Amino acid sequence: MDHIAPQISILLAATIFVTAILLNFSGKISISVWLYVVQSATIAILLLSSVFDRFSILLLIAVISTILVKVIIAPTFFLSLIKKYHITSTTSTYLNTPLTLLVIAGLLFLTQADFFTPLISLAPQGHNLLFISIATILISLFLSINRKGAVSQMMGILSLENGIVAFALFSGLEQNAGLQLGITLNIFIWIVISTVFASMIYQKFGSLDVSTMKGLTE
Amino acid sequence: MLLPFIVIIPLLGAIISATVRKNTYPLQVIISVTACLELIIAIIATANVLINKSYFFDPFFSVDAFSAIILLVTATVSFAASFYSIGYLKEEVKKDIIGFHRVKEYFVLLHLFLGSMFLAIITVSPIVMWVAVEATTLSTAFLISFYSKLSSMEAAWKYLIVNSIGLLLGFLGTIVFLSPVLNLTEDKFVNWFTLNTHVSLLSPDLTKIAFIFILIGYGTKAGLAPMHTWLPDAHSKAPPPISALLSGALLNIAMMAILRFKIVTDAAVGNYFSQNLLIFFGVISIAIPAFIIIVQKNYKRLFAYSSIEHMGIMAIGFGFGGIGTFGALLHMIYHSLTKSVLFFSAGNIFLKYSSTRIANVKGVLSSMPTTGIVLLIGFLAIIGMPPFGIFITEFYILSSGITKFPLVVGLILILLILIFVGFLKHIVDIAFSQKEESMNKDEANIFTIFPAIFLLVLFIFTSLYLPQPLKSLIDTAVTLLNK
Repeated sequence: MDHIAPQISILLAATIFVTAILLNFSGKISISVWLYVVQSATIAILLLSSVFDRFSILLLIAVISTILVKVIIAPTFFLSLIKKYHITSTTSTYLNTPLTLLVIAGLLFLTQADFFTPLISLAPQGHNLLFISIATILISLFLSINRKGAVSQMMGILSLENGIVAFALFSGLEQNAGLQLGITLNIFIWIVISTVFASMIYQKFGSLDVSTMKGLTE
Repeated sequence: MLLPFIVIIPLLGAIISATVRKNTYPLQVIISVTACLELIIAIIATANVLINKSYFFDPFFSVDAFSAIILLVTATVSFAASFYSIGYLKEEVKKDIIGFHRVKEYFVLLHLFLGSMFLAIITVSPIVMWVAVEATTLSTAFLISFYSKLSSMEAAWKYLIVNSIGLLLGFLGTIVFLSPVLNLTEDKFVNWFTLNTHVSLLSPDLTKIAFIFILIGYGTKAGLAPMHTWLPDAHSKAPPPISALLSGALLNIAMMAILRFKIVTDAAVGNYFSQNLLIFFGVISIAIPAFIIIVQKNYKRLFAYSSIEHMGIMAIGFGFGGIGTFGALLHMIYHSLTKSVLFFSAGNIFLKYSSTRIANVKGVLSSMPTTGIVLLIGFLAIIGMPPFGIFITEFYILSSGITKFPLVVGLILILLILIFVGFLKHIVDIAFSQKEESMNKDEANIFTIFPAIFLLVLFIFTSLYLPQPLKSLIDTAVTLLNK
């Protein structure tokens, strides 16, 4: 992250964090997808800056692949799913809005707990960035648990993954370029499979609301 | 030189299977050939480990005594499950439950699943291991939803979401573990050896938090309670050979991942930390199934809950350490063999009775004598009846903890008695009740019988006589794990 000014780093981290929060409150599913695009594009900027730090062709390929998967392919898949089944609003949450706000506030408070202090020690000079990344991770985790919609749960998982990538970048834990490529391939396959599953769920259950699934009661 | 082929062969198997048209016979030939080759490579790798302590293909793959055990068990269960799949799917095609395309889809995914598992075992990189374990989730999701029923779709979705969240937390734990050594190598490719030799660079607090993420992440995949919620659904809805692989192979691989990081954690902070956590999760993993097994109505779910219980027993064994580690490793082998036998028997029962409800299955011993006997022995073995191996391993595990953790051992004993009673009640219902008069006395086909008998014979043989090479392999693995 040496090529990014601290103020820009904070701005990028804040964008990732705010999009994670907004994903929890977004009423329209297409807005959720665009929020994810913004979050992923921010991650892409961070990844590109890591190429300037230690340039290699393989790393550049890995970064471009990540951008392709997260910023272009994933949203295209989600938007085509929305279009195909005419899904407009995100399905409801298990907790109502005030409670969701309370839980998010609690999670933010939790990031200050002693439990996470060792993680902050990975990059003491950028402790604010790491706090924000940890908060993003927790809020995204909550998003995938709290939402009843299949697509929203997928968004939660992908946002969680973005939070972890942000954490790794801010703490200087970028992986080997070949491994990054492997991880990106894995995410790509995950997106394909989960989109196919979401489509199958809609066809079978007539809804993307996973709370309608009640066949496993034994 | 042979080691990479244990990953390449299933991948080639998947590619060639995908090109097959119209006839299922080539698919059966491909899976038979690849299963045999994979088992042969696993045996050669294990033999090399016995002679040279390790077998590697620099710089990407390596097998030590610990991974050799997992590799051999995985290849053995895969071998049996591959042949069982041939027989099982043949019957389903005969009954018009599935057609050629589903059979092809099944075998392509099965090859990919096996390849991912083998990669997770032999890779030297913790990150590649994570990628491979995640790949097992992706390849098995469609196998769990194979019948496209509402309940199987639900089970598969739950499996995908819960495991993906768990594994992402495992990924976070992995990168935190790698943090102090990441910049030691120019290409940032960290292997287990680098991590273990630079353990002094790890801060104790950071190691603790990283291990918690690892335990929650891979513990989800290993079916440890309370992260186990996906397991009974997935294992009960998947086709029986896949359930056998999920229980008999995949759970071990997730446990292997936890134990690899446990070695590092113990070296960095002492063994008390991982010990307490493993015992805690182990006890919960035995307690929850103990109460559910008694009231269980579905025999596949019964076996699935039993898998959670046995992963709990293993976790406790690894937590206790010493002879407990020896017991847990041996328990892993016995559990894989026995649970696969039980899932194969469950498949045979389903083919005959078309139901997974215990209440609908009567008189298996008289309607399916071979399956009935195999099931009965499997039942007795899995609940830890002497003289079967699981009795011995549970004895090892509990005796290793009796002086330091007497209350935990007492609690486990009570829970094991509950499980024993629950299982016994169900086995009496399934095996000894009167069969319906209209029910013929027959078995499906040789492929649905042979794999179960093969694994059962292996289990009984190793229960009564532990071959010296296997014992020395386990001893070496215990030394690695108790470092």
